[in-house]
Amino acid sequence: MPTPWEAVVSEALIEARDVSVTFGSGSRAVRAVKNVSLHVDQGEAVGIVGESGSGKSTLARVLAGLQRPDSGEVLFAEESIYQRGKAYRGDKRRLVQMVFQDPYGSLNPRISALAAVAEAVRIHGAGTRAEATSQSLKLLAQMGISERDAGKKPRQLSGGQRQRVSVARALSAQPAVLLADEPTSAIDQSAQAQLLNLFRGLLDEGLSIALVSHDLGVIRYLTQRVYVMKDGEFVEEGATLDVFDNPQQEYTKKLIASIPGQDLRKAQS
Amino acid sequence: MSASAETSSSANVLVEIRDLVIGIQRTRSDRLIIVDSANFDIKRAEILGLVGESGSGKTMVCRSLIGTLKRRSASIFGGSIVFDGMDLATIDERKWRTVRGNRIGYVPQSALTGPNPVMTVGKQIAEAVRRNRRRSDKNVRGRVMELLDLVHIRRPEIVYDQYPFQLSGGMRQRVMIAAAIAQDPDIVVADEPTTGLDVTVQAEIMKLLREIRSEFNMSVVLVSHDLALIDEVCDRLVVMHAGTCVEVGSVSDVAREPLHPYTIALNRSRIDIATPGAPLVTIKGNPPAVGEWPAGCRFAERCDFVQQDCTIGPNPPLLEVRKGHWSACLHADALGGSGE
Repeated sequence: MPTPWEAVVSEALIEARDVSVTFGSGSRAVRAVKNVSLHVDQGEAVGIVGESGSGKSTLARVLAGLQRPDSGEVLFAEESIYQRGKAYRGDKRRLVQMVFQDPYGSLNPRISALAAVAEAVRIHGAGTRAEATSQSLKLLAQMGISERDAGKKPRQLSGGQRQRVSVARALSAQPAVLLADEPTSAIDQSAQAQLLNLFRGLLDEGLSIALVSHDLGVIRYLTQRVYVMKDGEFVEEGATLDVFDNPQQEYTKKLIASIPGQDLRKAQS
Repeated sequence: MSASAETSSSANVLVEIRDLVIGIQRTRSDRLIIVDSANFDIKRAEILGLVGESGSGKTMVCRSLIGTLKRRSASIFGGSIVFDGMDLATIDERKWRTVRGNRIGYVPQSALTGPNPVMTVGKQIAEAVRRNRRRSDKNVRGRVMELLDLVHIRRPEIVYDQYPFQLSGGMRQRVMIAAAIAQDPDIVVADEPTTGLDVTVQAEIMKLLREIRSEFNMSVVLVSHDLALIDEVCDRLVVMHAGTCVEVGSVSDVAREPLHPYTIALNRSRIDIATPGAPLVTIKGNPPAVGEWPAGCRFAERCDFVQQDCTIGPNPPLLEVRKGHWSACLHADALGGSGE
């Protein structure tokens, strides 16, 4: 069976061209994203790093079709997504899924992990209730959630498990692109390793991932290309390892020097 | 040798935590034990890291150090926390008021919700300054300015009259640190002080904590689940798993020769030392839930080195395996060097 995203021919799955987003108006206007262009190719993991307030989450929302840009274009498989006021219409909507920072906030506290995933599976068209259930269990198992844990409510699951349930929900739509906004910042180190292993597996299967994070370790580990964002603009972009090993901009150097486990200690002594 | 051997080995021990048991009394006969054997010392002017997964009990241990367990309806059921001749495990609220804030300061986890939102920065720190020393209003303002300066807040005279929402996350956390050190405490307890803050801000806050330690001889207890961070800023660390301290030692000893399989597993799952794209090593399974601890070692089910005797008997005690380096693994000696 061909994976659904093999149907998409173009190389750049998502492309943003000269996108700007402004909040507010007049003298209080804040330009959160300024003339930013990026592309995420098929099967590629792309990172967007920057400090809080740099505009990276806004950009992710633009890519997900949740925030209409003031100017510029967002293309999915070479087709503009913000046409006539509607982002990602029809089947396109399904192909771009988002995972948020706080899994506790994005799951309904009153329904079990299984029910949460089954709901999404049914929305995306798996026939009967029984089929939806078995497909959900399969997805959850892929995410390392046992059948026993699948019956639990979000508060009974650990942070890492909750985040994996969110990912299972996102995957139930069989997306081509996963937009992950700080997916690892609310979970423990070992849970983080589990989630990243999972993302790596998905990449191997051909999924594209855009990872927004201020955790440079995660970006360095997972992504092939990276965009460094500051005050709404990209200040540096390139192959992740090149950027990390040989940053060109002062801002990037400062970010990289702040990763714990490097030479802060030396600098202080 | 038992854990208490640590006491005799050094005179500059500030706090001795022994066999500390923390739990919640759910009904008259039903107790939920959350921490059942915390054993470690806090030495003078050291930065002590406290690591462990969520649910391992590290926050409860912190709360026991500042006497705010009751606010989580938890209490101490056994053991001792000896600090300057007092046993903090048994003192009453009146006595606590002379310790909390004065002798032991606290920096909360979230700088975003920590400060009082409807009170100016200056007033909040002034409250901490005024606590029990009677100072004239003019003196208080001077001390607040001094504190703001100490935590490197630029233009303190402006920040003094600002509200927390007008400050960035990093600034707010500096304000919380200023309040925590207002009374010149012996110890500052910082519970994941940089969660949710940017790496650059985190680096600055860590630098500040180190400065405080060296300038005022304060001890800092730093809770984190980021081993890279602990490695970088701490002198010693305590590793907690399922309500127990499983390893205690200097950061360099533990990095060179971890003596508990949990520490080894944690080290292996570190992303900062992983090869990009290569599989990350994960710890199998989940930590046992509070109240569902198995017999024997609580890590046994997830352990790569598990032996037959690991799953029987009581929770293994924390023993001094090398000088100044404790482990609660029954087979710690056989592990030597397998962390490399």
